[in-house]
Amino acid sequence: MLKAKIDADVFKESIDVISALVTECRVHTENDGILTRAVDTANVAMVALGLDKSAFSSYEASPDQIGLDINKMKNIIGMMSKGEPLTLDLPEGEKKLKLSFGGYRYSITLLDVNTIRKDPNPPNIELPGKAVLSGEDLNSAIKAAAVISDKVALGIDPDTEIFYMEAEGDTDHIKLEIGSGDLRSLTPVKVRSLFSLDYLKDMGRVMGRADEVEIQLGNDHPVKFAFDIANGRGHVEYLLAPRIEAD
Amino acid sequence: MGVALRPILLDHKREVEWQDIQGTAVIDAHNALYQFLSIIRQPDGTPLMNREGRTTSHLSGILFRTVNFIDRGIRPAFVFDGAPPAFKQQTIEARRDTRSRADKAWQEALQRGDLEEAYKQARSASKIDAFIIRTAQEMLDLMGVPWLQAPSEGEAQAAEMVRRGDADYAVSQDYDSLLFGAPVLVRNLTVSRKRKFRSRTVTVRPEQIILADLLDSLGITREDLIGIAVLVGTDFNEGIHGIGAKKALKLVKAGAFRATLEEGLPGFDPEPVLDFFRHPPVTGDYDLTWRPPDTEGIKSMLCDRFDFSEERVSAALEKLEIKAGQKTLEQWF
Repeated sequence: MLKAKIDADVFKESIDVISALVTECRVHTENDGILTRAVDTANVAMVALGLDKSAFSSYEASPDQIGLDINKMKNIIGMMSKGEPLTLDLPEGEKKLKLSFGGYRYSITLLDVNTIRKDPNPPNIELPGKAVLSGEDLNSAIKAAAVISDKVALGIDPDTEIFYMEAEGDTDHIKLEIGSGDLRSLTPVKVRSLFSLDYLKDMGRVMGRADEVEIQLGNDHPVKFAFDIANGRGHVEYLLAPRIEAD
Repeated sequence: MGVALRPILLDHKREVEWQDIQGTAVIDAHNALYQFLSIIRQPDGTPLMNREGRTTSHLSGILFRTVNFIDRGIRPAFVFDGAPPAFKQQTIEARRDTRSRADKAWQEALQRGDLEEAYKQARSASKIDAFIIRTAQEMLDLMGVPWLQAPSEGEAQAAEMVRRGDADYAVSQDYDSLLFGAPVLVRNLTVSRKRKFRSRTVTVRPEQIILADLLDSLGITREDLIGIAVLVGTDFNEGIHGIGAKKALKLVKAGAFRATLEEGLPGFDPEPVLDFFRHPPVTGDYDLTWRPPDTEGIKSMLCDRFDFSEERVSAALEKLEIKAGQKTLEQWF
């Protein structure tokens, strides 16, 4: 059972967070909010989203799992006006979620959760390097690298206390260093890993709206991006597996 | 050729979706190469060849199938057969005879202009020689796909790698991997995607067999399964005439393995064969590291030496480059 009211922008932001990686997911409705954790079909990236009850203007739910077609949600969101309240209603045992906003009354058939990949376990991972910067700066850096390459190295140089990103194209090279002036905080440990820009671009579009993003890095390890949405009432973590650095 | 266990496995094979088999796959290289050679042919049965008449069907298969696997989230590794055990000699000779008969029948069909028969015979005439193996391994090296040479049977080595947890499943069309103890076997990854079935064309999907579930539902042990195979006949021993998998299952379950064998194959000592299935020569010395592909090297090999279309190769390589260097999250969960 789910009966809730939420600002259209917050809902849209949440769907955007998920749609950067997957087209369908299991959403857990809990007494104190909703949670989802999903891995993309290639097992390369994971999204974990938690939206606290306080992110909704009203919220009532019993613990359950619902299968959401994220693509369909994205199309519906396109119909909503900014700041419009959205009502979600899923009576106990029903398979159709009612969405109401403005004059629209949608009744959306949910996906059978058994047809959706199971939630991944929480990853067991140590990432010693940490840098915090604005989402906008991070997204710009990703876009800058994507101009010349399809992969980018992210790293921390503890000697100069900088967070850097470096990309190598067929003929071109780019390096961006972000130092103490633009970093909100830094754990200076020597780390470096290479990542696919295909994934980072999609994540970057979402992270660009966050006030700050915490980046956790290791050596040839996944990167974790953690940031808040919905004015701190929602929290997101992206995890992206590294690429193999060529010799 | 493997062992004819199909009748008792029919109910235990499960069609799976590609997304269900993402992970590390150890492929029986000889079996895959044989499939590629037999299916990648021109309508009259002639394999793909370069200008000098060198066969290239296997290279086409390796490139395009591997790219497809990687694109679908499967990380393939290939295991090549090492030295066969002495008692496989009879099978090897029989296969050689079959091939040379098929080769002759192919030429005759061609002369008659019977293309359908020519194609059929040409498939049976497929032969894996040193050139095929050498070029296949060279190709895998360029693609950054790990391969290894098994001390003996490739399927035994594949089974061992899955058992150790270094791979998720073994890939072969034959069922021998199960006898060697592969916990999971996946079929149909290296065969034609479409098959004619009662004059309809059907899509061939991946098929999975989980050894523990299989044994559990048949109510037997792996030792029993090996016994059934020996009665039916394996690559290492002739079976007993008139005993198929179903009958063998009944006999083994009734505890009549030894008696049946003594009666059906007097004088045959099954111990070396049984022991070979139980404890085949395998190695733990391998490195499953996927490396970034050498795209220039692949182009030069396929387009310059083997006359492949540059356009097709480039399109495949583009896919490969994006996916091949990408690790997955599995190892951190």
